[in-house]
Amino acid sequence: MHLELKPTGQAARLFVREQLRSPTTLVLLLVLPVVFVTAAAAVLGPFATALGGSASGHAATALGAGWAAAFLAGALGFFQTVSSREADQRLALAGLGAGHTAVARLASAFTLALAVSATAFLALWAHQGMIHPAHIALAILAFASIYLAIGIAVGAVVRDPLAGSLAVVFIFILDVFSGPGMTKSAHGLSMLLSPSRKAAELLLSAGAGQHSSTNNWIAAAISTTVAITVALSVF
Amino acid sequence: MVGRIWLATRMDMHDLRRRPLLLVLLIVTPVVFISRAIALTQRIPRVIGLPGGGTALTTMRDVHGAVMAAITVAFLGGLIGVFTMQAAKQADRRLVLAGFRGIEAVVARLIILFAATSVALVIALLVTAKDFAPQSWLWFAVGTAAIAITYAGIGALAGTLLGRVGATYLLLFLAMLDLGVVQNPMFGNGNPPGWAVILPGYPAIRVVIAAGFSHASRAPSPELLGAAVWAVGLTAIVIWFLSNAMRPAHAT
Repeated sequence: MHLELKPTGQAARLFVREQLRSPTTLVLLLVLPVVFVTAAAAVLGPFATALGGSASGHAATALGAGWAAAFLAGALGFFQTVSSREADQRLALAGLGAGHTAVARLASAFTLALAVSATAFLALWAHQGMIHPAHIALAILAFASIYLAIGIAVGAVVRDPLAGSLAVVFIFILDVFSGPGMTKSAHGLSMLLSPSRKAAELLLSAGAGQHSSTNNWIAAAISTTVAITVALSVF
Repeated sequence: MVGRIWLATRMDMHDLRRRPLLLVLLIVTPVVFISRAIALTQRIPRVIGLPGGGTALTTMRDVHGAVMAAITVAFLGGLIGVFTMQAAKQADRRLVLAGFRGIEAVVARLIILFAATSVALVIALLVTAKDFAPQSWLWFAVGTAAIAITYAGIGALAGTLLGRVGATYLLLFLAMLDLGVVQNPMFGNGNPPGWAVILPGYPAIRVVIAAGFSHASRAPSPELLGAAVWAVGLTAIVIWFLSNAMRPAHAT
């Protein structure tokens, strides 16, 4: 097992390095969540009120951190899938194997999503402090993982970079307008259009300093697991 | 020169037509974003600041309707700018090697960029018209078009300088923060903060807000001038920068 994991790990490290070839991309990945959390903190509560939602104060700001991590992870997943398809096929044929290549690619994407989530988490902590840091960290990571998978799934279906990135933005904005805290009630279309709903419910509770129910944790874990499984299968 | 620009534009247009999903998204995205944003927003009374110092009493729904068209065309224009110019670099260099001048290839590409952005702009205005009636449609359309052109130019430059990943991140966050947060009269005291004037969307969104809610018959001149400077200035910079980038190595 150790011998099998070693080339996969090496490939994953190379994939991370490949994604960060441009220092500007790395800087943006680290700076944008901080800028967004700070700038949007004062407006997300009033925005939710305007939409008839209930998110306010620290809970609304926490949701902003989740959105920042989610969007960056979604775009990351999409671009990594689109740009790597042919190289990965050659790598798989050259001996690494399809399974190992997919695991390595997903591991590298997840590592970057983890970095983005950590930045959003630290920005939120610096901005308003936290009562349940582990709860918030897991919720932001769930957000990022779900969108990473969405980006990967879009990248597997849509090869045109412009159309694909538009598709990720499209899903993201619909989710923002349909998610918990931003709409009057969760039913029908809103439920369908919000893939990050369960992660957002965790984040809203944690941001408000409340505990989440066991059912919410289970539902968020299922959403995230399904997303990662989809990502692994489409690579 | 005009003949060669026209030829290059037709070739680029042919390339665009081979991407039907993109055209569908350019139409569907404004329809869904704007109609859903307006439908979800409550009719909460809201006082907003107008250019020149006046105020207007309106509703959150109407303000959201007015700014959502601007946000949507900024997103779409910017993304089209990033990818049109990024994807074009190689093909346009070949055109230059085949005898075209750099400026001809870049202008042809800009025509495609503005044509695709115009599709999104027209759809955005039509969808907005369903639920929101500005005081002046002319200046509302001019302000929204200036935002689309400004962000298309930012996207074109960012795509060339930062690559598509970095440019996409930068552009979407910039449009969201500039137009959706800082300039948005749904928040704060209904006026943008003093430092907001440095952001690219400031003059054009103020034209949009004045056209949407002011009873004055003309658009505010300083803001209109500022919007024109951003739109024309960025377009000129894109033409200059990319034309130079197209030159074969021995010519520079």
